[in-house]
Amino acid sequence: MILTGLVLAAPAVAQQTTGAPAGNFKLTDMTGKTVSLSDYRGKTVVIEWNNPGCPFVKKHYDSGNMQKTQAAAKAGGAVWLTVNSGAPGKQGHMTGAEAQGFVTSAKAVPTAYLLDPKGVVGKGYGAKTTPHIYIVDPAGKLVYQGGIDDKPTANAADIAGARNHVLAALGEMKAGKPVSMPETRPYGCSVKYAD
Amino acid sequence: MRFVLFVLMTVFTACAVSAQTPGERHIAIDLVAESPTPRAGGEVTLAFASTPQPGWHGYWKNPGDAGVETSATWTLPAGVTAGAIEYPVPHRLLIAGLMNYVYEGPFAQFVRLKLPAGLAAGTVLPIKVKLDYLVCTNEICVPESAELATQLTVGDGAVDPATRARFDGWRRAMPKPLGSPATYAVEGGKFRLAVPYPATSPATDAYFFPLTDGVVDYGKPQTVTRDGDTLVVETVAKAGRPATLDGVLAVGDGQGFRLTAAPGAIAASGGGGGTATTLLIALGGAILGGLLLNIMPCVFPILSLKALSLAKSGGEGAKGEALAYTAGVVLMCLALGGVLLALRAGGMAVGWAFQLTDPRVILVLLLLVTAIAFNLAGLFELSAPGAVNRMAAGGGSGNFWGGAFGTGALAAFVATPCTGPFMGAAMGTALILPWWGALAVFGGLGLGLALPFLALGFVPALRRKLPKPGAWMETFRHILSVPMFLTALALAWVLGKQAGVDGMTLGLAAALLFAAGLWWTGARQAKGRTRAWVPGVLAGLVALGAVAVVTRAPAEAAAKVAGAEPFTESRLAALQAEGKPVFAYFTADWCVTCKVNEKAVIETATVQDALRKGEVAVLVGDWTDGDPALGRFIERHNRAGVPLYLWFPRGSSQPEVLPQVLTQAMVTTRAGG
Repeated sequence: MILTGLVLAAPAVAQQTTGAPAGNFKLTDMTGKTVSLSDYRGKTVVIEWNNPGCPFVKKHYDSGNMQKTQAAAKAGGAVWLTVNSGAPGKQGHMTGAEAQGFVTSAKAVPTAYLLDPKGVVGKGYGAKTTPHIYIVDPAGKLVYQGGIDDKPTANAADIAGARNHVLAALGEMKAGKPVSMPETRPYGCSVKYAD
Repeated sequence: MRFVLFVLMTVFTACAVSAQTPGERHIAIDLVAESPTPRAGGEVTLAFASTPQPGWHGYWKNPGDAGVETSATWTLPAGVTAGAIEYPVPHRLLIAGLMNYVYEGPFAQFVRLKLPAGLAAGTVLPIKVKLDYLVCTNEICVPESAELATQLTVGDGAVDPATRARFDGWRRAMPKPLGSPATYAVEGGKFRLAVPYPATSPATDAYFFPLTDGVVDYGKPQTVTRDGDTLVVETVAKAGRPATLDGVLAVGDGQGFRLTAAPGAIAASGGGGGTATTLLIALGGAILGGLLLNIMPCVFPILSLKALSLAKSGGEGAKGEALAYTAGVVLMCLALGGVLLALRAGGMAVGWAFQLTDPRVILVLLLLVTAIAFNLAGLFELSAPGAVNRMAAGGGSGNFWGGAFGTGALAAFVATPCTGPFMGAAMGTALILPWWGALAVFGGLGLGLALPFLALGFVPALRRKLPKPGAWMETFRHILSVPMFLTALALAWVLGKQAGVDGMTLGLAAALLFAAGLWWTGARQAKGRTRAWVPGVLAGLVALGAVAVVTRAPAEAAAKVAGAEPFTESRLAALQAEGKPVFAYFTADWCVTCKVNEKAVIETATVQDALRKGEVAVLVGDWTDGDPALGRFIERHNRAGVPLYLWFPRGSSQPEVLPQVLTQAMVTTRAGG
């Protein structure tokens, strides 16, 4: 696992600045292929932090909300990268094979499911919760970071009345408008980083 | 195979979570009403008494980097309304760089219910609530729900003592409103918060828990500095710049204060920019302050004698003397400063002259100053035991050196009670500088104190200016005992303030005993007896025994105002029954606004006279420890906290609530009316 373009202070959670170029990274996906953010320059990229064991993630996967959002994003020409920063021995950590099992059984449709067991990319992006969403525009600029929606609960019944921040941002980008809510408060379980 | 295992695993955990019956929740929650029979038109406090299982934690209103706050969905009878959930002061839990604001042990949240007026007594009010909350271990999180219910009956609002005690225990864990607005500033990615918080109030493990999200990076460490009556919290900022920032300042021991901060300018503190300038200014102030100390009653006598002895010695070894004296002064100042810094680092709220806050130290100083005073008065001679005497007689320079060094150290130690007015600013600065800068300031203070003597030692012309030694020196020495006796008197007063009348009497008795012993020693010296010092030393040792006995008197309610009594509701009722006008004011040691009002208004002669002339009874409520009984009274007058000023006119049970920023006229016109 080689990293480029990220300057990281090891234990600290760094951050990416909205409006600035998003830090590039290289990770191995669930099939063993190396994927880097710069591969998708010219396309909008949505990055989602995932831990299948977290009740807040379950809220969006068991209801099909996350899969629908992924499909809608891809239909609009965007790339969807799901990242797992769970450390070995902690909740949600998965090997490539386990991740493939999860993606199949949940009928998820990410472009790639990336493994970050050392938490280097997670910390470089300041990912705090699962889910935690980032959107990078075709020029490589970070245009959104925050929650999946504005109803911070674990109750799937709240999805219906919520504002899906990801779809809203993608819609505004499609219309050539700036993202009206570029930063929101993410909610969920804490990312299970290595101590 | 792995895949199968994983699916099994997820199925299993899903079962484990969903199979929870209400009795198996990770937080046991009890809904308790403070009064089962609340009054119509009144309020009743409900508590969610929660006990997380070992290893599990619940979340504060702002959960930190992850987690969610508790939400309540109420089912209430018509007209009954529920307020927001009130949370106690939380704890911090940092897991792999992510900050969680949590409760790891039993805790209780409050909700206030308002009852409509006009409900008939005996009306049954069924109260139902569904709580949704998150409970986590360091590894996993479980969102849980609890359906809770209780039944209230409209009645007289009575609270039984056991329930009252339980609620009062929970109330002590709630943050108290600070009452003074705070200021925050963000500059170069640094967040700084200045909280008005008296220097005399303790803050052992101060931490700012923000309620407003997006302003502070929760996971970054916070540094706390005390600058006089301001506590400054510094940490890493985030992008948010709200017009108001809410939060809770925890000061250790489960104590906390609710505060609201507005953007504003905050003076640079240590470690930031301008340290060099700050240091230079502080150093200049310290040297000047030290110079001024030379004419203070505590120091002047010691110094004059030293100067005269220098004149006597006719300049032989004057430079050495001066250097030894300077070394003594500077080292003592550094030692005191070092102790002060160590105590600060340990989180104790101490100021310069901190050694004067302990009655035992005061007693030792009292004995020392008494002895010096009697020595100046000529009751006995300070000649060291035999061997040293002979050395001195033989002009042994070793004694000069030792003597000068000791005198210097003594002068510096005894000088500290006098530093207050001059040194406050420099010392305040010293405590926000990095430790080496602070020590430099303490050293500067010593240097200033030693400067006149250094000048005498190194400039012969100055020495020649000193009056010729002669018989007048003896008289001068006796006169110098007067300021020393005055210093002793001041110390006795301080002792009385700290340890009460008994402590002061004990101190004076010890001083008397010591003086008697010294007198005897003096008499033996006059007769040229050997071992003349024995009675004095013995008496001194016995007197020191008093140190073991003297203890700090329990702090009484601050009744600095003549005739003021501690506030109780029964006392208030009694005074009103007598037909007296009553001025009741509520204060706390941690409230800066209160202290300002007391010094500038309530304790002034003008206001005191007006209160006396108007025969106004004054009641003081001291809310320093957050006494719940007082808290309830304060709340009943639509105030969340102190300061609170209530004026009960003659024969009226309804008080007038005076503004929090008090003026003398507000009190005097009412007292005259």
